[in-house]
Amino acid sequence: MSDRDWNAMRAVVAKDFTAIRRSKAVVLPMLLVPFLLLVVLPFGIGLVARAAHGTDLHNVLSKLPGGIARPILRQPPRQQLVILVDGYLLAPLFLIVPLMVASVLAADAFAGEKERRTLEGLLHLPIAERDLFYAKVLGAWLPAVAISWIGFVVFAVVANGVAWPVVHRVFVPTVLWMVMIVWLAPGVAALGMGVMVRVSARARTAQEANQLGGAVILPLIFAAVAQSTGLLLVSLPIAIGVGAIVWAVAITLLSRGAARFTRDRLAATL
Amino acid sequence: MHPASSIEATDLARRFGTAWALDGLNLDAEPGEVIALLGPNGAGKTTTVRILDGVLDPDRGHSRVLGLDPRTQGTELRRRTGVLTEAGGLDDRLTLTENLVVHARIRGIPIDEARRRAGEMLERFGMSARADRAAQGLSTGERKRVSLARALLHKPEVLFLDEPTSGLDPAATRDVLDVIAGLADEQGATVVLCTHFLAEAARLCRRVAILEAGRLLAFGEPSRLAADLWTGLPVELDMGGMADDGRIERIRQVRGVAAAQPTGQGATVVVESRDVIPGVVAAAVTGETRLFSVIPRPPGLEDVYFALTGRSGVEV
Repeated sequence: MSDRDWNAMRAVVAKDFTAIRRSKAVVLPMLLVPFLLLVVLPFGIGLVARAAHGTDLHNVLSKLPGGIARPILRQPPRQQLVILVDGYLLAPLFLIVPLMVASVLAADAFAGEKERRTLEGLLHLPIAERDLFYAKVLGAWLPAVAISWIGFVVFAVVANGVAWPVVHRVFVPTVLWMVMIVWLAPGVAALGMGVMVRVSARARTAQEANQLGGAVILPLIFAAVAQSTGLLLVSLPIAIGVGAIVWAVAITLLSRGAARFTRDRLAATL
Repeated sequence: MHPASSIEATDLARRFGTAWALDGLNLDAEPGEVIALLGPNGAGKTTTVRILDGVLDPDRGHSRVLGLDPRTQGTELRRRTGVLTEAGGLDDRLTLTENLVVHARIRGIPIDEARRRAGEMLERFGMSARADRAAQGLSTGERKRVSLARALLHKPEVLFLDEPTSGLDPAATRDVLDVIAGLADEQGATVVLCTHFLAEAARLCRRVAILEAGRLLAFGEPSRLAADLWTGLPVELDMGGMADDGRIERIRQVRGVAAAQPTGQGATVVVESRDVIPGVVAAAVTGETRLFSVIPRPPGLEDVYFALTGRSGVEV
């Protein structure tokens, strides 16, 4: 690691940040899903909870693991819906945010350079292949995590604010949410990066990479994450364990991506 | 490697799939020399640049640029080289200054110095008025100028220019060629010019490498390449009409005449040297014959190129 050229890497990351910020085609889809998921949905749930006069959730709650169901069942009926959805069920769904943002940015960072015909210029610069690869990964991973975390803060404010007349206390974040935010979301972002690095190597444009990744591979990942929802809800150690598996797969994919990220291989596809 | 060489390549070859993009390239360049890689699209010019700058690995052969092996010392080498790629490679979303500063920063130039140099280079290439605007919307000529400014920002010792004037209007072409000529003269930079414009190569380069389908057809000074191809000096006689057989025969009998053929305006005669020309004129101007002009026409780069590539040829 001591051989890293951090100045060069910082320059690449800063370039990618600046370019992304100015690209509506990248920014808009990147913000739309988090807005719907983290603002519109909790807002709607809060309003429904405020209008409802006692939704019977016993059937739903009885199917949840006891560790989660018990504290919710202890709440008054009007609070149960909002705590169940905002406090627990949305948490795994939230992982779509880092996954999607990281994927969009990775497609732009790798396949996008080919599409804009700027890749060759980068290859002729005095930056080591690994440094360029890690800078590109960081340039997409850091914004993905930042957007996820900022999105979560906005979500917490909206969820607690709208539901305040019903719940009368701050109920988000839960411990499960904290695991999602601190441990799983960065891991899922890295996993999305790992997939898109591979996909981008074969795609000629960012759009093609997004289509390949979005149509085939990422839904499979999301399905796997969704399948693990039950596991995540079971207990904290299992949620942490699932996160460890996500990180392990992500690091494996990124390491393989780094090994294949050579000037010779990239230039041969130009 | 010859101690005076900036670039030396021996038997360089590179294959993509089953096709050889480059097959057995040998060339060298001295410090401050401008050499041309001449050839049509697909000749192997860009592949050569990529190998010499350590971006592509050769499948065969070896090279040294500035005394460094591009294959193993690529990062160190690329600090001292500059490349203008055919596409230019500007990021449309960044301003012109940002496009230059990013590359300077990656090259290790401190930010303040990078900004100062970017400003200077954009001024030099007449782009300072647009320095803070995005690259999107620049014309082809403007893009080339900004890209060239970026390639020169760090004062490279070797500069690779891939089709630097393609898509430019005549005035912009002249400006870019003036800059390239100045680089070698003023900065002592070695320039490798990839082009398919013969006039550019003829104007700027003492030596040219002619490539076709990945193979090096010839490398050297055009006059020497011509001497290898043809003996004698072609001379065109303008007689206002085709020379008749008798006159052609008289010319052929002049000592030192290697060949004589009638043309639509008179005749083309190949002589051993300039000293033979007065004898040719004497043989041609007899009786009613009018002779309007006698023009020695030594084969130029264009003749050499077309003769070697077989696309056309001079009949001498």
